[in-house]
Amino acid sequence: MELLDFARGPALQFGLYAFVIGTVWRILGILLLAAKPDHSAARKAGGFMAALKVIYTRSFTADAFKQDTLYPKILGYLLHIGLFVTVFLFVPHILFFKGLIGLEWPGLPNNIIFFVGVITAGVGVALLVRRLTNPVLKLISNFDDYFSWLVTMAPIITGIIIPIRFGVRYETLLAVHILSVALLLTWLPFGKLAHAFLVFFSRGTTGLVLERRGAKT
Amino acid sequence: MSAPNPFGESPRGNVEPILNEVMHALDRLLDDGEATVIDLGRLPFGPGEIEELEGQLGTGEIKARLDALGASRIRETIYPGVWWLDHYNTAGELAGRYIEITRVPDILTSQEADIAAGRARLHELISRSEETALQ
Amino acid sequence: MKQKPTLGEVLQAKGVSRRGFLKYCAATASLLALPPAMVPRIAQALEAARRPSVIWLSFQECTGCTESLTRSSSPTLEGLIFDSISLDYHHTLQAASGEAAEAARHAAMEENRGNYLVLVDGSIPLGNPGFSTIAGISNVDMLTETVADAAAVVAIGSCAAFGGIPGANPNPTGAVSVSDLVTDKPVVNVPGCPPIPTVITAVLTQFLTFGQLPDLDHYGRPRAFYGQTIHDRCYRRPFYEQGRFAETFDDEGARKGWCLYKLGCKGPITYNACATVKWNQGTSFPIESGHPCLGCSEPDFWDDGGFYRPVSTARIGGGAAFGTAVAAGAAIGVAAAAMSRRRQQKTIKEG
Repeated sequence: MELLDFARGPALQFGLYAFVIGTVWRILGILLLAAKPDHSAARKAGGFMAALKVIYTRSFTADAFKQDTLYPKILGYLLHIGLFVTVFLFVPHILFFKGLIGLEWPGLPNNIIFFVGVITAGVGVALLVRRLTNPVLKLISNFDDYFSWLVTMAPIITGIIIPIRFGVRYETLLAVHILSVALLLTWLPFGKLAHAFLVFFSRGTTGLVLERRGAKT
Repeated sequence: MSAPNPFGESPRGNVEPILNEVMHALDRLLDDGEATVIDLGRLPFGPGEIEELEGQLGTGEIKARLDALGASRIRETIYPGVWWLDHYNTAGELAGRYIEITRVPDILTSQEADIAAGRARLHELISRSEETALQ
Repeated sequence: MKQKPTLGEVLQAKGVSRRGFLKYCAATASLLALPPAMVPRIAQALEAARRPSVIWLSFQECTGCTESLTRSSSPTLEGLIFDSISLDYHHTLQAASGEAAEAARHAAMEENRGNYLVLVDGSIPLGNPGFSTIAGISNVDMLTETVADAAAVVAIGSCAAFGGIPGANPNPTGAVSVSDLVTDKPVVNVPGCPPIPTVITAVLTQFLTFGQLPDLDHYGRPRAFYGQTIHDRCYRRPFYEQGRFAETFDDEGARKGWCLYKLGCKGPITYNACATVKWNQGTSFPIESGHPCLGCSEPDFWDDGGFYRPVSTARIGGGAAFGTAVAAGAAIGVAAAAMSRRRQQKTIKEG
């Protein structure tokens, strides 16, 4: 049980500290940036509603692009819904969060979580294949993209393996799973995965800018 | 038989697989004359499961009681060739529980060593009574 | 050295019939988790087996392990096994005391040099030899002396196997396990608090029957009994998969016998045979009685952060540290923004 003790203890602690420090750092660091001086007159009075509107509308694809982006869009949604379900609705995970923040919510049966987990892993692989085969996407991908993919997929894959076991002891697999989560937590605020908490700030900012310019959003 | 109930009460994970195992053992007994012993001692039975299994197999035509290092209750179930054996120790505690798929459980047949020992005892009795008669 | 009688001779002298012996062999096969087809081999081996001499040493312990063993009431098949071993020293059970007891131990060691088994319950304090002594001899000295000519050592219970309660944080006596001290002999760990009596007798029976020790896992535990987790063999496992959990000890889930994972059950990470061998002559085991597994056969189970904390919760420090983390993150964030602003100002000025 030594590896599990290390994973559940110091490794996870490090990951969580890195996550908290990094997240607060990135959010404050970005929010406190000075806006670029804009000397033009505003077309419309920008406001909070404009920000909210873009946060909402950018969740869908503009009609002109719908056809071309349908495949990655579906995969993207599946991946994010899958991540939400497996991370937040698996009972042992809920107990983990309860231990951290004291809140608890209902979960789903394990077989459903497992099914969703397998789909999510499959979607993750499909997205990587697309990244590697689409010339444009491949060209604009850097280390951050691939590493972020890896640290996101690692907990999913290791999580799926736990009930299958492959002859490895449960506590070892659990420890590896937790270690992969610690790695994810450590990386999340500093790479492209920071979109987890920055996505709505950036969309809101886009909304404000476009509103000011009088663009149709 | 009732389907394994998904929710509530206690799970019934063991009864059906064991009944299947018994059926395959009967195949082997009929086809090849091969006997099978199923040790029920190391299976993770839930509350009431063993009783359910016992109920499903029922009691057939033969019941035997053995007294050797404690009692043993041996009976054929309603499925001929399928025997239920409960071995108790001298304190009356269950020491082993088996399903045997065979024509007659080995332990019911007289054992060579015991037959020989019995013959010796009988021989001694006869020679002693002959001695008495001669006197 | 006088030749000890074989088990066959012992049973014959007791007037046990061949049927009785076969029944005994069948029970032995069950005990050793061997297939029933092994019964003839067991019969052959047991007939010729000679009673091994056993010396039982009790160190920093609560006598719960001895209780566990003796409460598998006598005379039983287990009792018969004890008839067929020669328990030459056990300071709780033996009639002799004081110097006579120690003389019996020395005599057994002398007579069975290289062939006797040493059973140990309790951990050994290294902090101060005076913490635990028997007949004025410190535990570590007695262990070293007794083990020197033993065939093998069996550490009974979690204290002897892993340090147990005496070894729990902050380990005031400097308690260590048997295997910390005995490195040149085979050591079999039979952990549990207490271990299942059947498992203790099984190890002895294996030695008696086949003259060898069982196959062990990486913690030195017999695989036949510690090869699978409680969770994997638990009859409540289907409820875990279905997501049906007892939330408290007296809610609907508890009454319906649902999974105890949320109440801190350590079944998933605990390797033991409770779910199949069970306790009190096969009556039940803790989970069947409605209480989560404490994980008592695993190392340091006392220090695992609480019996009622679910397996999946983190074992990490409290909220104050996270407050510091938030503050640190905020400080870096503000500093980074300020630096950026300064650079921006500079760029604008330089135009």
